[in-house]
Amino acid sequence: MGRLRKVTLILPLVAASVALAACGSSTSGSTSGSSGKTLTVYVGAQPNYPQQFAQWSKDITAKFKAATGANLQIETYSSASDETTKIQTSIVSGSGPDVYVLGTTFTPVAYGTKGFLTLSAADWTAAGGKSRLLPQTLGMSGPNSSTQIGIPVAMRPFGMIYNTALFKAAGIANPPTTWDELIADAQKLTKNGVYGMAVGYADTYDPWKFIWAFTHQAGGSLVSKDLKTAQLNSPQVVNATTQYFDLLTKDKVVDPASAGWKDADAMAAFASGKAAIFPMATGTAINTLDGASSAVKGQYAFAPLPGVGPGMQSLPAGADPAQTIVSGDNLAIASYTKNKDLALAYAKLSTDTAMQVEQFNLFGNLPTNQQALDQVLKDNPKLAPFADAEKGSTPTAFTGAFADIENGLANVVVQSLPGLAKGTYDVSAVKSLLDAANSKAQQSLNRAGQ
Amino acid sequence: MIQDTSTPGAASPAAPGGARRGRRRKEYVAGGRPLWLLSPTLALLVLVIGVPFLIGTYISFFELDQYNLRNWVTAPFVGLKNYADSLNAALLLHSIWVSLAFAVLTTAFSAPIGFLAALAVNTRFRGRGLVRSLFLVPYVLPSFVTATVWRFILRPDGVFNKVLGLHNMQWLIGTNSFWALVLVDIWAAWPFVYMMTLAGLQAIPDELYEAADVDGVTWVKKIVYMVVPQIRHQLLLGLLLSTLNHFNNFTLPFVLFGTPAPNDVLTLQVNIYQTSFQYFRFGLGSAMSVASLILTLIPAFIYLKASRLTAAPGEE
Repeated sequence: MGRLRKVTLILPLVAASVALAACGSSTSGSTSGSSGKTLTVYVGAQPNYPQQFAQWSKDITAKFKAATGANLQIETYSSASDETTKIQTSIVSGSGPDVYVLGTTFTPVAYGTKGFLTLSAADWTAAGGKSRLLPQTLGMSGPNSSTQIGIPVAMRPFGMIYNTALFKAAGIANPPTTWDELIADAQKLTKNGVYGMAVGYADTYDPWKFIWAFTHQAGGSLVSKDLKTAQLNSPQVVNATTQYFDLLTKDKVVDPASAGWKDADAMAAFASGKAAIFPMATGTAINTLDGASSAVKGQYAFAPLPGVGPGMQSLPAGADPAQTIVSGDNLAIASYTKNKDLALAYAKLSTDTAMQVEQFNLFGNLPTNQQALDQVLKDNPKLAPFADAEKGSTPTAFTGAFADIENGLANVVVQSLPGLAKGTYDVSAVKSLLDAANSKAQQSLNRAGQ
Repeated sequence: MIQDTSTPGAASPAAPGGARRGRRRKEYVAGGRPLWLLSPTLALLVLVIGVPFLIGTYISFFELDQYNLRNWVTAPFVGLKNYADSLNAALLLHSIWVSLAFAVLTTAFSAPIGFLAALAVNTRFRGRGLVRSLFLVPYVLPSFVTATVWRFILRPDGVFNKVLGLHNMQWLIGTNSFWALVLVDIWAAWPFVYMMTLAGLQAIPDELYEAADVDGVTWVKKIVYMVVPQIRHQLLLGLLLSTLNHFNNFTLPFVLFGTPAPNDVLTLQVNIYQTSFQYFRFGLGSAMSVASLILTLIPAFIYLKASRLTAAPGEE
């Protein structure tokens, strides 16, 4: 082999090695020395609130600097897939942001990666303490009260919005408290081109929550209590799935076109007065409903979702009301961080009363801080039902396999949409899809136990 | 080494002046420069393609998932299990079929559109520059933008249904979703065939057209017997690249339908993405990538050989 060829072959390998080494050794931007340190936090971008996000960034950066003397670098993600990709690459390389804002249903998956710090009692104290937080919001912080990675920073419980004018016209005095009542009300409200409910069947995130709620309200669960056995093909889950589809096919209380709707479409139908109830809303909906293009401004109210499932008059013994999942955001600290103290200081600042109220004012996220929540509810009494909903919340299974469970149920709904668009579904096909989802979830649970 | 780099076709009669060029190339190579100049490209190829491919192949034999991602070198070795799972549980063959059907159909539809569009703007007319620029608009738009816009157009109450007089037709779910994907990709990709064809057309000397006109040849015969043979290589290359581009298109189905994707549009790329980054089965996703690479290399190799696109200049 000639010298030239040797060099040609070696050069790329050397270049590749150098580049890979450079990738592996990159840091999160933190510097050594107490005064010049930088904490990097990874938060969701707020494309609908650009000015508010700029305001929040400015305020928290200034407060963080004043409290710690360190700098705060805010990085943003635009979608859940962006965030997951970043977490994966950071965990593999051992470098990246110090603090992540994680959705509550993703927190168990993040916990499963073992890439985040388990908070000790001293850590909790440094982060401002648990006692100032609403107890229910801690339901998705970890597998149990002594093993937690997530510090709740925002609360977004689900509830229903109803059109008060349409309710009044139909002679319905109060919002329903059971799903049978809700469906009966919706049937009464379905007339003159208006549908009783608006549901986004083709949405990526919400359909599984209906199935989850109906399952729990019937005394079932998606995973066994010991988190070892997937139960996605149990009779309760099959029944819950068909009950969810029945809103369109049997009860006929939703627009048939909603087989192709995302949640934004369903919300638009409610906001334009074409639907009387939007059943899977969060408090942030207030921004849309009070907007200039809203046809229901001043004609809507919130209520917790029913805690008694379809076909039942009361909750069976041992069943959960499951009015909402424990929904919102947690702060989680990467285990590779060299700025743990700063990360805890950031958590303390983010969960204090002033920043929690500001977060609500800017983005509509309800506070997890009890004192801040009281203040927000005092100024916005119409949001009180969401606080009630949070009290009736049930945490989702805290297992690293939850992504498989969530995606599995979402897939069951997506593959059933063509039938729903025609106003029907095949129960055996639904069972078959649930079997396949269960198999994947079980494999993941098995791997989690290894 | 010097002999290796001189191409057989360089001295062939089909390449005028080839012998002279061949000699010059030998002298040039003997100076030792061309291989040196290749080294940055080779380095990048090794870094961007070679290293990830080797790591991906390695991972495909391990059960790498969210539970052992942090210490990925400790993931348990599972042999060929991931490959078996690809074929059984992960719908790999279904996805390859969807991707193949999508790629072939899209190319088949966009090729005549691109070809005819190129013919239409090959002759001079007032405003030709503007028309040529407008033809490129769908191609230069980012796939993300194209998919987002079409997602609105194809809604049940969208413009598409209104124009066609259809009531609440669902294009983004079920069987229709496949045809929606084909339609949108044709809209976005036909300018590629148009560009390749136009490049070929511009290389045909005017004298040939003039001679054909003198002989009274009809325009159909001109296209069949004169134009197509002249641009055959560009056209075949365009069709091959177009098919490969469609086959590898991830952004369009991902943005248009979201995830989980309807099975009718569960293309190979989207399936691998879902498996790897939503179900966190990185080992299985890698096995699917490697298996699909091998499976798709076979027809690609046959096609390349049959179309002689890899033949040396002058070699038939």
